Amino acid sequence: MNATAEAQTHTLILDDTEVSFHEGETIYEVAQRAGREVPTLCYDKRLEAFGACRLCVVQLEGARNPVASCTTPAEAGMVVHTSTEAIKKHRRTLLELVASENPEATINPLRGFASQELNELLCKNDVQPGRFQGQQSGTSNGDDNPFILRDYDHCISCYRCVRVCAEQEGDYAITMMNRGFETQITTEFNNRLKDSACTFCGQCVQTCPTGALGDRKAMRAESLPGELEKTRSVCPYCGVGCQVDLLSKEDRLVGIQPAMDGPANEGALCIKGQFAFDFVQHEDRLTKPLVRGDDGELHEVDWNIALDRAAEGFRKVLKKHGRHAVYGVASGRAPNEAAYTMQKFIRAGFGTNQIDNCSRA
Amino acid sequence: MSRDTDTELVNQWRKEPAPLLPLLHAFQNRDSYLTENALRCVSDALKIPLAELFGTVTFYHHFSREENGQSKPRVCDGPVCRFRGTENLLDALNAKPMPCAGRCDSPVPVLQGNEVLIGSDANSLKPLPSPLPPPNPGGIEECVFAHIREEGRATIEGYQKTGGYAALKKALCDFPENLVALISESKLAGRGGAGFPTGKKWEMVAQAEGNPKTIVCNADEGEPGCFKDRTLLDYDPHATLEGMILAAYATGATRGFIYLRYEYPDTMRILERAIAEAKDTGLLGQNIGGKAGFDFEIYIRRGAGAYICGEEGSLLNSLEGKHPFPRNRPPFPVTHGFEDLPTVVNNVETFSAAPPIVKHGADWYQSLGLGEHVGTKAVSLSGDIQRPGNYEVPFGLPLKTLLHDWAGGPPSGQSIQAVSMAGLSGGFLGGSDLDEVTLDEPSIRSKGAFLGAAGIMVFDDRRNMVDVAHNAMAFFAEESCGKCFPCRIGTHRLTERLNGSGGPATESEWHTEVDDIGDTMMATSACGLGMAAPNITRSLQKYFPEQVAAHLQSVSR
Repeated sequence: MNATAEAQTHTLILDDTEVSFHEGETIYEVAQRAGREVPTLCYDKRLEAFGACRLCVVQLEGARNPVASCTTPAEAGMVVHTSTEAIKKHRRTLLELVASENPEATINPLRGFASQELNELLCKNDVQPGRFQGQQSGTSNGDDNPFILRDYDHCISCYRCVRVCAEQEGDYAITMMNRGFETQITTEFNNRLKDSACTFCGQCVQTCPTGALGDRKAMRAESLPGELEKTRSVCPYCGVGCQVDLLSKEDRLVGIQPAMDGPANEGALCIKGQFAFDFVQHEDRLTKPLVRGDDGELHEVDWNIALDRAAEGFRKVLKKHGRHAVYGVASGRAPNEAAYTMQKFIRAGFGTNQIDNCSRA
Repeated sequence: MSRDTDTELVNQWRKEPAPLLPLLHAFQNRDSYLTENALRCVSDALKIPLAELFGTVTFYHHFSREENGQSKPRVCDGPVCRFRGTENLLDALNAKPMPCAGRCDSPVPVLQGNEVLIGSDANSLKPLPSPLPPPNPGGIEECVFAHIREEGRATIEGYQKTGGYAALKKALCDFPENLVALISESKLAGRGGAGFPTGKKWEMVAQAEGNPKTIVCNADEGEPGCFKDRTLLDYDPHATLEGMILAAYATGATRGFIYLRYEYPDTMRILERAIAEAKDTGLLGQNIGGKAGFDFEIYIRRGAGAYICGEEGSLLNSLEGKHPFPRNRPPFPVTHGFEDLPTVVNNVETFSAAPPIVKHGADWYQSLGLGEHVGTKAVSLSGDIQRPGNYEVPFGLPLKTLLHDWAGGPPSGQSIQAVSMAGLSGGFLGGSDLDEVTLDEPSIRSKGAFLGAAGIMVFDDRRNMVDVAHNAMAFFAEESCGKCFPCRIGTHRLTERLNGSGGPATESEWHTEVDDIGDTMMATSACGLGMAAPNITRSLQKYFPEQVAAHLQSVSR
């Protein structure tokens, strides 16, 4: 028996069924794998389990109180109940409490990848707002940056934003200020994001389960007509190959979300991949070749004419200054095949070794 | 004297263990608040991201981000003090309120810079040493208070004169395993309130892998109505040090911390002196007591005003310079404590009890309890009672004996309406239970409360119990760390229901909401704060339903 198979041999009883698990798995992970619906709001599988929302509590035989399944390691022989009447009631109360701290609102899914999580949970559990009325928490921050909306009226202090910024992006740009009900997500010295260590990667936006953080660029399309569609693609900016979901309405690209299951990025993007897509349908974007005429103005021409003109320019340079007057820089956005062709073009075509790639800079 | 430069402050602390809190205090003592520059220096020196550091600083009550913030007076508005002059003092001094500062036996404490002044009005404020425990009224043999009233006990000469450090000497002649066995046999259990068997804890740390190991003394006595640790440290600091050194010997730990609450600056100075004396005498440092290879140092770390830092996970995070949220358990501190290494965390009283146990034996300690009960408990008694103070009681003593025979009962003409348990977190006892319970966990838990750290505040029949409960719940809401949902939202919602600013006005709906919030907090909160806070509402509903009804009537009008 090999080591992996041996690690598989632990079992526990999950809702009267024996299930196996690996050493190091939590009860939550085991329950997920077994297809149990265990609700949570603070969990993001990329992050260290935190145990804040307590929605994932399960009954563990022998334990006085329910335990948070996300932070409790599975142990051989455990007897776990994921959905007793008592557990269901606690979850309901917790959801009612969470609902009570924020204004009731429909959140447009353009705000972010996870922005519907809270509302979906409320809906699924048929939680009507109105119970446990009282003061609401969180104060919106009038941060006027063009990318990230900070609408903390909808914040539930799950700290997913703070944790993703620290654990995934390594920026440590945001933090939690004060404590208890006065907790507020903010930056150093309670300033704007652009004065902080934030790199505007947008990961905080995409993991926010309430839409308190919103993708301002995508939100511009809230009032556009048409269904929101998602198309899986690969970010064209660099060679990492981050997978993205392109958000579109009718024929318009309106936003970008990172693919949480993208093997290269697991939900991460950088500021360019996340927010810099306006060029795609920008009115200034060149869609046909232009060449300068004798009148000094640019004129639309077809590709043959344009390429001939370029070739002619190269020849002139070669003739006048020699082969080393040419220097090729391949775009970092080009795939390997194009980069290869480019160096071939420079080396074989011009006879110079002066070829580089912009990613090296 | 010239002001220390940033670099001097940083260099003084950066290489020390657990440097964040003392470095921040150093900057605040210099500048009277934490400037942006100070935070940038600290962030840079200790490699803590600036945003994280900023967030952590805002967590603590006593780190100020406003100019001259440190010198602004703070007045205790704890459950006892608020009936004894808090409001006048706040007005007269233009001061900020602070949660119970542990002087319930001689109210009202005012914290000004690093000085504590005592008085009930602005003209009578003066520094006052904390009261000694009254001589044991029951004439019962004591453990931790046995020598505390002796003159000069706080000095090493005074301590040694009556047998201090003899226990250590005795233990060092034997194997560490035998010391662990003795403590286990005595059945000493955590006196901070959780009651975990001390010997078991020491044994687990001794056996755990990973070095260096750490001994942490939890002196963050933040529970309202508790002031026993202050008295133990003020008058018998070497007993705690000796207990810690014994724990170090038992477990193989080489470093120790005393995490002292911010509000005890006088105690800090007493401890600093005691540690220096112990070092000079060879009882701390290297080859302690002449035992080759037995090295142990103790460092004091001053908190900054956060009740939750008395919770051991928060305390450890606070020591490590992290955001002081409680930690998820498992793993436990015995294997993953300070810096993720094996750590003993015990309360002041627990450490203080170790030397007499070593000296007199496990049987002796066991016999101190009444009947089946083992040992003694220091109880902080305050509020509407003739003789407030710290009393060491044998476990099993009837509550009414303590209240009436030992402490003289309520002020004349009054009767006792309720007492709080475990400071505040045990909720209240009232009615006939006051005459029935004995001071031990089985008896008190059978009434739905718990003894815990054994702060007992007395409320006589003049007090509005809904108001008292509101003040208590507001304390828990203020001190909730904000990590787990049930506590963060629940304590706030219960506070609103007690002051009438939120919640249903009809009695049955009010009770249902309060019950539902409380049940879920008790069952699902991540730490003891959220689990215990609903004891306040639960016991209020149980003992004082007519006061709740009157409250709801006044709210609906």
